Amino acid sequence: MTEETNWRAVAAATGTGERAGAEAGVRLAYRRAGLDEPEMIVWARSPLEAVRLLSGDVPEGVTTPLPTGASVRDALRNRPLAAARERLHSGLGPAGWSGHWRATGENLWETTRPLVDRVRTGVVEALAPSDREEETRIRLLLLDAVLGQHDAAWLYALDTDTDADADTASDAGSGLDALAEVARTAGWWWPYENVAVLTERPTELHRDEAGRLDRGDGPALAYADGFALHAWRGLPVPAEFLDRLGALTPEQIRQEENAELRRVMLEFYGYERYLEESGAKPVDRDETGVLWRIELSGDEDVVMVEVVNSTPEPDGTSRTYWLRVPPTTRTAREGVAWTFGLDAEVYEPLKQT
Amino acid sequence: MYRQGDVLIVPLAEHAVPESAHDAVSEPRDGRGRFVLALGEVTGHAHAVVGPGRLIREAGVFGPMLLHVPEGARVVHEEHAAISLPKGWYRVVRQREYVPGSVRIVAD
Repeated sequence: MTEETNWRAVAAATGTGERAGAEAGVRLAYRRAGLDEPEMIVWARSPLEAVRLLSGDVPEGVTTPLPTGASVRDALRNRPLAAARERLHSGLGPAGWSGHWRATGENLWETTRPLVDRVRTGVVEALAPSDREEETRIRLLLLDAVLGQHDAAWLYALDTDTDADADTASDAGSGLDALAEVARTAGWWWPYENVAVLTERPTELHRDEAGRLDRGDGPALAYADGFALHAWRGLPVPAEFLDRLGALTPEQIRQEENAELRRVMLEFYGYERYLEESGAKPVDRDETGVLWRIELSGDEDVVMVEVVNSTPEPDGTSRTYWLRVPPTTRTAREGVAWTFGLDAEVYEPLKQT
Repeated sequence: MYRQGDVLIVPLAEHAVPESAHDAVSEPRDGRGRFVLALGEVTGHAHAVVGPGRLIREAGVFGPMLLHVPEGARVVHEEHAAISLPKGWYRVVRQREYVPGSVRIVAD
């Protein structure tokens, strides 16, 4: 496995990690930052549970709220990362650094960042659905978190091995090796002077090929305490909404007033089935595919090209897929060309597979 | 112009190649020595270029990208037939889909 594959696996890992390893990494991170190890390490099953603990919910076996002391995230995470970035930046120059970032962490961060944002939003919605002051407090707490496995892109780009090789025994290394050790076994964690709160990784993570949260029959992201997020091709949807999808009718789709949810309903129901049941006729047909239009009251028309995958499936059939195109599209060729950012006149593949 | 699934590879005349591309830094090759044009997050399947040359990213994670293959190359994918590219410059475009108010990348 390449280093990139390894870090991608870290970012997407699910299930309980090895707690002892994570705790050893946390203790090392404190020492690397020149701090005393935390007196107490507390585990939570999700970021939501961690924020609850840090908001005064008393964990099992503890009699008073956590005596955390001040956050030490800056010393443990921000400073080592900034220093490593600075070392690379001065060694490679600005252009070299940006090339290095593109070649290493950028792609991974592009798919991890929306996940991190979704988790933050999910925690805020669960704890402070309509209280602005409470929301601010929770958002600030969330910013105290070290992202654990979700820091994979940065740890990949900043090469955590170098200082471990150079200075294995000393506690004065950069600290990135410690962060990497935690990232390999745990989710988000909160370092404070006296206490570190660690969270387990999610129990489930479902994404589509583009890396977006995506699941039609259950939570796309779920944690052991029940904290869960639902999404369809990256679009957040309520859990109850997914329950309704199984028994969907074209009439219900037409009646849905939320345009985004209606789009999900249509995709889930299947454009083909919807068109068939509503007796639609193709708008245009040529060698590139077929153009369809669905008129929706109070919303722009859904216009789609139906395209046949040129490479047959193992069973000899050819998969058909549907792509939505702008409502102004008039021909199938214009629609397919648009999906590649081209005008209809110039779209002429010599070979397709 | 060649198409492999959701990736379109469009020949680019020598004079249409942006000046900046001639000395731009190439994207790195993957662990198997290939240029990855698009990677499936879940399956790990990739549209990948095998052969000498350079891959230059113009802007953004999803491209477009410029591909230079001075001796020709092959484009491979786990689920699509391979495509032979004659030598030259190409622009690589990912397929996109219309979403009211924006566009999103297609991932097959």
